[in-house]
Amino acid sequence: MEHMGVEPGRLNFSWISSAESSKFVDVVKGVTETVKALGPNNNFKKAAKVA
Amino acid sequence: MTEFEPKIVSFLCNWCSYGAADLAGVGRMEYPPNIRVIRIPCTGRMSPKFFLAALRQGADGVWVSG
Amino acid sequence: MLGYIDKIKEISKRLLDEGKVDMIIGFKKGTMPMMNEPCFVKTPDEASKLVWDSNCGINLANYLTDRKEKIGVIAKGCDSRNIVTHIIENKIKRENLVIIGVPCKGMIDRRKISAMFDAEVRQVSEEGDAIIVKGNGFEEKLKKSDLLQDNCSTCIHRNPALYDELAAPLVEEQKDIDKYADVRKIETMQPSEKWDYFDNLLSGCLRCYACRNACPLCYCPTCFVDEANPQWVGKSQDETDIRTFHFLRAYHCAGRCTDCGACERACPVGINVRAFTKKLEKDCFEMFGWEAGISIEKRPPLDTFKPDDPGKFIK
Repeated sequence: MEHMGVEPGRLNFSWISSAESSKFVDVVKGVTETVKALGPNNNFKKAAKVA
Repeated sequence: MTEFEPKIVSFLCNWCSYGAADLAGVGRMEYPPNIRVIRIPCTGRMSPKFFLAALRQGADGVWVSG
Repeated sequence: MLGYIDKIKEISKRLLDEGKVDMIIGFKKGTMPMMNEPCFVKTPDEASKLVWDSNCGINLANYLTDRKEKIGVIAKGCDSRNIVTHIIENKIKRENLVIIGVPCKGMIDRRKISAMFDAEVRQVSEEGDAIIVKGNGFEEKLKKSDLLQDNCSTCIHRNPALYDELAAPLVEEQKDIDKYADVRKIETMQPSEKWDYFDNLLSGCLRCYACRNACPLCYCPTCFVDEANPQWVGKSQDETDIRTFHFLRAYHCAGRCTDCGACERACPVGINVRAFTKKLEKDCFEMFGWEAGISIEKRPPLDTFKPDDPGKFIK
């Protein structure tokens, strides 16, 4: 994806066990921060609303 | 204008991260409200189609977690 | 390359005569210069219409999918790798195939030739390493090595990976080739530059799906672009739709693409569609040491797990 010009950080992967709720919270915070810093997704969004 | 609040579509595995999310809820932990959770039966169900569809329809970010 | 044809005809005739195969898939002369057509030869007499020269860029593995009869197929390096991929993916049975291997010295890019002349190119023939181009009022002799398809000029698997018969002695493989120079150039760009690069690249795309149809990997009974519920990708000329199509096409080829160049060759507007698949091919090679279609014993990287699999992208 990054190779084709989608900003790194738009798409995130992680691996969390079902017992790791605190890691879950950390990752949610992290991902939200990254995406916030990137700003809105204007590139890939389809201009007309998809029905 | 208020601060930008992204919409993050999250694909969570039923057995891993979805469980973790549940546990976080049970433990009353606080986390940002920007994620929109989609439960998938297993991360193996994930397909490139899904995150492309999410981004096309206006998601600001995608998070896949197993 | 020209000398191969007698041997190819001889093998084809013999196989058909002995009843070892029901048909031979090969090339016949096309109606346009530099455009050989695939053909199916079913009787020994027809074998004489087979041809072989530097315009056989179409990947014949494409015509094997789910075939039940016994088939003899003429395969250059990349065709044979795609045949191997077909066998691994259970799309064809090994025992139903007789592979006539053809060591290849690269196919010529018809666009490079057409671009060199203002007038229409009427006739193209070859003599050793020279290509002779004729048109209305001009005739020119060109060096073949300048006219190769981009993927052929960086090819390191010219000899077939799997064959039963061989039409000519194996050729020497190219060495010290920097296969991925173009991919690395894109990798060094900033995200916005990359975006613009691909925007520019795809600006001509008609969504004719010729790249998909020419590709031997694209054999899904219903392609995602044709699915209506859910509709993954719109059917318009919208930029996002075009991009979605190319992204997904590339992902479907990940770990399977042999960089045969059929997609690029088929594109009516000359888009370098390999720019998408090649990055994934490079990643597979660097992360898993995998090159598609080299052996029928090894399982592809995306359906196996090894403890030393790279997983750095996962937090």
